Amino acid sequence: MMDQKLERLLAKVQKPGRYVGGELNSVVKDPKNVDVRFAFCFPDTYEVGMSHLGMKILYSLFNEHENIWCERVFAPWLDMEQQMRENGIPLYALESGDPVRDFDMIGFTLQYELSFTNVLNMLDLAGIPLKSKDRPGLTPVVTAGGPCACNPEPLADFIDLFFLGEGEEVDCEVIELYRECRKENCTKDEFLRRASQIRGVYVPSLYRVSYREDDHTIQSVEPLHGAPRTVQKRVMMDMDRSYYPDRFIVPYIEIVHDRAVEEIFRGCIRGCRFCQAGFLYRPLREKSVGTIDKQCRALCENTGYDEISLSSLSTSDYSKIEELLSRLLNWTEDEKVSVSLPSLRVDGFSNELMSKIKTVRRSGLTFAPEAGTQRLRDVINKNVTQEELLQTVNTAFGGGWDRVKLYFMLGLPTETMEDIEGIAELGQAVVDAYYANPHKKKGRSVHVTLSASAFVPKPFTPFQWEPQDTIEVMHEKQRHLLSCVRTHKIECNWHDADTSFLEGVFARGDRRLCAALEEAQKRGFKFEGWSDCFSLPKWMEVFRCCGIDPSFYANRKRSFEEVLPWDHLDYGIKKSFLIRECQKAYRACTTPNCREQCSACGAACYQGGICVENR
Amino acid sequence: MKTVRIWFKKQGAARYISHLDLSRCVSRAFHKAKIPLWYTQGFNPHAFLTFALPLSLGIRGERESMDIKLENDIPREKLIEDLNGALPDGIVVFDVTEPVMKPGQIAFASFEICLEPEDVAAGELAETIRALFSTPEIMVQKRSKSGTRTINLKPYLGRVQVREGNGKVGISAVLPAGSMENINPGLLLNAIETYLSCRFYSKIVRTNLFDAEMQEFR
Repeated sequence: MMDQKLERLLAKVQKPGRYVGGELNSVVKDPKNVDVRFAFCFPDTYEVGMSHLGMKILYSLFNEHENIWCERVFAPWLDMEQQMRENGIPLYALESGDPVRDFDMIGFTLQYELSFTNVLNMLDLAGIPLKSKDRPGLTPVVTAGGPCACNPEPLADFIDLFFLGEGEEVDCEVIELYRECRKENCTKDEFLRRASQIRGVYVPSLYRVSYREDDHTIQSVEPLHGAPRTVQKRVMMDMDRSYYPDRFIVPYIEIVHDRAVEEIFRGCIRGCRFCQAGFLYRPLREKSVGTIDKQCRALCENTGYDEISLSSLSTSDYSKIEELLSRLLNWTEDEKVSVSLPSLRVDGFSNELMSKIKTVRRSGLTFAPEAGTQRLRDVINKNVTQEELLQTVNTAFGGGWDRVKLYFMLGLPTETMEDIEGIAELGQAVVDAYYANPHKKKGRSVHVTLSASAFVPKPFTPFQWEPQDTIEVMHEKQRHLLSCVRTHKIECNWHDADTSFLEGVFARGDRRLCAALEEAQKRGFKFEGWSDCFSLPKWMEVFRCCGIDPSFYANRKRSFEEVLPWDHLDYGIKKSFLIRECQKAYRACTTPNCREQCSACGAACYQGGICVENR
Repeated sequence: MKTVRIWFKKQGAARYISHLDLSRCVSRAFHKAKIPLWYTQGFNPHAFLTFALPLSLGIRGERESMDIKLENDIPREKLIEDLNGALPDGIVVFDVTEPVMKPGQIAFASFEICLEPEDVAAGELAETIRALFSTPEIMVQKRSKSGTRTINLKPYLGRVQVREGNGKVGISAVLPAGSMENINPGLLLNAIETYLSCRFYSKIVRTNLFDAEMQEFR
């Protein structure tokens, strides 16, 4: 796919392997034999995007259809972008090398708010008008999906339609409709109106948003041209029948997660109140042991990977985790394949589990208590106690581990300085536990990392009304944490408060932020998640220039009555449930997990998964 | 356990993968093809796999080789077929032999360089390059792990020929390569660019490897 023009550029950039395609299992079709060409765009680097499971699933699924050719597009890194702009090379897809602007459909996956500027920059680099209204034709249609589509309002002016929920079915239905519409010579407006009738499709241009004069909050969101008043997300209820690829593209260059990934369930039973994923992906739906085993074998056979990662929001919550591991270890050991379990819970780490994952290469252990005191852990419904944590690290230390990483959040609702001190104390308790361990290896020291990120309130969580801590308060809390740590065996690190602020603005933003994104793109902003690029002062200038007060979005407490920008989108979770959860949080009152007891969140409307299983 | 030498080409998109990435990519192919490699017996077992001489990023390789240790014997044809079935398109295995020389004996490599000048005629460029290569001192910056130093290319140009045709300039070069001394063909291009300040599009192919007596590496 490489032409000479491109080859010249490649000689001048870092990691040219990002831009050439041709990897094992990448799909090349004859454009003459397909009806719809779909450019799957990941608004980040190749290494990040290629690690993403959702893209692997949808790429393979689309390409199973003979008449669709789905190709991959990533954001070129700064050096490559410069070369491309200087030499007049538009953004192209990796498989064919053809310009993205010539594709029929373009689909962005929205994994994090800080990639929004990359979405616009990629459109610009492709030579495609940014705004939906400046693209009157049916080609290309610009779509987007992924978790951030749950509040897509900051991108409403740019994206023609959003996919809400899981893409496996709805995406293909929309592509099929697109085919029909093109055959019938429909206008883009007509296609969008028809698409809006498909469950799981949100067409932002079909909703009129009005704002209140007094406090500038939303007055109302009115559907137009027969679009549904609320748009419901799509879900795949039978995980065993749901499409899963039997092969991944195997990159030439090393990517972030360079291994086979097997999704073992979707959703989460826990209901941690800060966690958006825990609500967005309800209800919990498991794959059977047999399906997982079969899919893992196929993946290893077709890729040559020697590591499988069992992926989910909380791996140890899989109801038959030990049976699953035994089944996998039956063949993985002989085939020299290792199994890794990310996302282990503090209370899910048993001796048995440990002995099973010990057969593979051992790295550090990571747990997420999230908060430093029991009170605050109850507020956020992270049902984990200090005793459980210490018991777990004792198990781990007994098994020979000596590096532990603990994740926390700063700025959680109701947090006090006492809670921050609790983080350091918990770290110290872990260090003490190591030295109290009678089987400790002589001369080995322990290393505990306390990693503190800044809490960002997200839509569809019980904290969606909460103010985010200001950057100043966040810095004060970070300093306080550091001052409480008294040993070099504990290392503290944290997430940059500035980027968390911007993340907070866009996470709960509305359509008025489109102007800021457009201005930011004009000024060449991109890769906000990378410290090489991000600058808060520059962003504040953009907000000033657009007459936007970012703290209105990040630091303001909303009332339960306020119309939120995402209220017309329905993820199956009732607002009344989120209000109830928020009020319980203020009382430091916990909610049982879905397996223990149903809390009537609303996800039972999908009539499947944990909601209908016997408890 | 048997050591075999696998011969392959590195071309197309595979030109753009580094040595480290190549090693990872090839290991996966062995795993995928279920070829029983001998694993090192250390603390962190890994497949025994060594490349004769790493190839710089962007250069096509026509006669690259790697040595592996097999747990048990596999017919040559089957090994070639299975590996090619598991490798990406840019890496093509064309032969499997028993190693004759040690990779450490490699002393020279031959290259074919093709230049397409952008603003001068090929004949003119070829002429000026020949003139440049016949001057007694051609100083270029050579980067290495220990820093950048300036070297004179002239002593290494004994086996370099320049010719023209089809609007292109071809340079055949045999340059020191291996563990003792290494001259990257890119240095020749750097010299042409700096001394003659001209722009061109270039393609480099490493065609073969030799020992100190200029015997083909086998």
